[in-house]
Amino acid sequence: MRPWALAILFALCLAPPCAQAQEEARAAEVRIKAAFLYKFCDYVEWPPAAFARPDSPFVIGVLAADAIADELARVVEHRTIHGRGVSVRKLKRGAPLAGLQMLFVGGADGTRLAELIAAVKGQPTLVVTESEGVHAAGSMINFILVDDKVRFDIAPQPAESGNLRISARLLAVARKVLAGPS
Amino acid sequence: MTASLGVTARRAAAAALLSLAAGIAAAQSRSAGDLADLSLEELGNIEVTSVSGHAESLSTAAASVFVITADDIRRSGATSLPEALRLAPNLQVARADSGQYAISARGFNSTIANKLLVLIDGRTVYTPLFSGVFWDMQDVMLEDVERIEVISGPGGTIWGTNAVNGVINVITRPAGATQGDLASAGGGDRELRAAMRHGGALGSDGHFRIYGKADRLQNTMRANGSAVADGWDRTQAGFRADWGGAGSAFTLQGDAYSAKSEQRGVVLGTDVGRVEVSGMNLLARWTRRFASGSDLRVQAYYDHTDREDFAAFRPKVDIFDLEIQHAVPLGRHKLLWGGGYRHAHDEVLDGLVAGFVPPSKDLDWVNVFAQDEIELNRRLSLTLSVKLERNDYTGTESLPSARLAWTVSSSSLLWGAASRAVRAPARLDREIFIFPPSSAIRIVNGGPDFVSEVANVYEVGYRAQPARGFTYSLAVFHYDWDRLRSGQPPPAVIQNMIEGKVYGMEAWAAWQAAPSWRLSGGLTTLRKDLHLKPGSTDPTGPSALGNDPEYLWTLRSSHNLAPRQELDILLRRVGELPVPAVPAYIAVDARYAWQARRDVELSLTLQNLFDPAHPEFGAAATRSEIARSAFFKVRWTP
Repeated sequence: MRPWALAILFALCLAPPCAQAQEEARAAEVRIKAAFLYKFCDYVEWPPAAFARPDSPFVIGVLAADAIADELARVVEHRTIHGRGVSVRKLKRGAPLAGLQMLFVGGADGTRLAELIAAVKGQPTLVVTESEGVHAAGSMINFILVDDKVRFDIAPQPAESGNLRISARLLAVARKVLAGPS
Repeated sequence: MTASLGVTARRAAAAALLSLAAGIAAAQSRSAGDLADLSLEELGNIEVTSVSGHAESLSTAAASVFVITADDIRRSGATSLPEALRLAPNLQVARADSGQYAISARGFNSTIANKLLVLIDGRTVYTPLFSGVFWDMQDVMLEDVERIEVISGPGGTIWGTNAVNGVINVITRPAGATQGDLASAGGGDRELRAAMRHGGALGSDGHFRIYGKADRLQNTMRANGSAVADGWDRTQAGFRADWGGAGSAFTLQGDAYSAKSEQRGVVLGTDVGRVEVSGMNLLARWTRRFASGSDLRVQAYYDHTDREDFAAFRPKVDIFDLEIQHAVPLGRHKLLWGGGYRHAHDEVLDGLVAGFVPPSKDLDWVNVFAQDEIELNRRLSLTLSVKLERNDYTGTESLPSARLAWTVSSSSLLWGAASRAVRAPARLDREIFIFPPSSAIRIVNGGPDFVSEVANVYEVGYRAQPARGFTYSLAVFHYDWDRLRSGQPPPAVIQNMIEGKVYGMEAWAAWQAAPSWRLSGGLTTLRKDLHLKPGSTDPTGPSALGNDPEYLWTLRSSHNLAPRQELDILLRRVGELPVPAVPAYIAVDARYAWQARRDVELSLTLQNLFDPAHPEFGAAATRSEIARSAFFKVRWTP
């Protein structure tokens, strides 16, 4: 290419920068997390007792994360989890947490989180969070952003106490597998 | 060129560099709405900024790109890098013997193929002796590979001369993603392999991993039942450390290896001994994201290789490489510019039949490039780019390209590209000489007037996701080649007297037939219409430039039989090779894996299931047959 062509090439680059990157990144994060929530279910086994009837739907409760709930509802629209239809519920604070196979709690609300997790302790409910330092409080999978990528840590011990079996494939992909108090 | 060069020289090369452009970041060609169809690994590797459309993902790249994911590699049962490359439908991979491969895209395949650029974590791995890759010297810990991007077609404006027919980018995981221990061991009738890795934290924001591996490859046999002396023992160790995050990150990594073949005995009256190879490399990379949104990347590496092959030649090569890239988003423009410097010093001792004059040489390459991706409107984007690369043989080569991408709908993309691709001369083209054993007569001489091989390349492609869980990609290409390498009757001088056209098609598709069952397949076709230019006396003609099938197709089934059991079947059909003739073949590979415990995976891979053995490359009298094989592997991740 000729020098003048190179000059034109550079001249083409004089336009105002756009500033939506942050918002777009947040939207992408929501999409990726919703996809992960759905994918996790393939790699976790629930005991039969987790479901009221053989044809009961798979129920995912989402608290304090409406955007993720909407995206997840879209993802599962024509999909099944372990052969069951899927229902995504946006939960309000104080809503009953019984009968959920998965609970996703958005945001980092330390003390409330501990209460919520205590409420489903020992039940076959996979608890997924997106906060720093919540595994101590009994979360089973926790999202974190590493280098702009959505990664997650797993604490198998609280899951086992709820009779959930997390596959090694999922553990292998986790950023960290946390040893629980035994 | 005369056939003897291809037979005896084995390998040799030239220049080029530059790794991953900002334009190629993550994710396969699926729309963002169907992230749920991606594997766990793929999801975890998507940069939040790349799906957003801010940085570009492969799904919008105006090029023929196939991504081999970590999951694909694991499920294929591949035990080596070349075997893993069979998963890319836009590559032709032919196993010449136990350790040697002929790998190319869009034709010109041979064990000294010279039109495909291969990078491992940004490090160019081909030799300046012949612009190709000694595949028996390249190895990675496959468990730590994040993805392999295979871009067929010219990538010269980013990657430089020699990325003529394609680029293979092997990208390993950051150290933070390979924490903890992993051990794998496997054995079968053709090979034994063991590998270990340990990863840990380094201070508050750093991670590291170290790995070591050892492999033993069984020798192959010829069709007449005689043994080929191509068994190998190989050890390799390495490390990678990463500090920082998205704002500013630093990577330091390196590998060291040593390998030797078995004793090869007497060839043409001389004991040629073993092939012994060793090498080490050290790479540092710094990336910085500025508040303005621009990204700077500075990378430097040193690479030392030593190859002792008395049947061919015996090169020692030291390479130093530095590159800088700066990506600047400016409204509707995404500007990427940068430059690089590369220095190679080699010393080549003569082998039984080949050597180089001069035996030692210093070569330098310098390049600058700029690329602007312009969003013409919401659906149309135009990428203009040019690279100027200076080499010691032909001076400055220019590599311009223009690419247009039209987002037809949210789930389909039509693209087209026109590029000028250049393969600059390598040492082999200019300075090799080939002689009968213990004779002073040179039957082939490097051409002092050999200039760059040049192609004008036109491509059109279409990618779409017509339904949930179904994606496909189609590309057609046309190369107008000029000044391709040619020979003469002995004593030959290498010339540039072949021209012509090469055209073909690449297509692949993937279908998630059921939540636990994925089907995929690919087809490539290739036609070559090459001829000698008037005045050439080359007795061999275009057939010396590579031996390519007219078609190749693959079908793959990945089935989760149960939550902890996987069955993968890969069927591959390769058309016949014309000169020397290699019959068409079908190979069926199968892998069954069982997650026996949370930390233990057992797998059994059977290759070439329905055929005791077939040749994939080379002349009938001397070539290896690739035999049926079984490999059992235990993978432990405590």
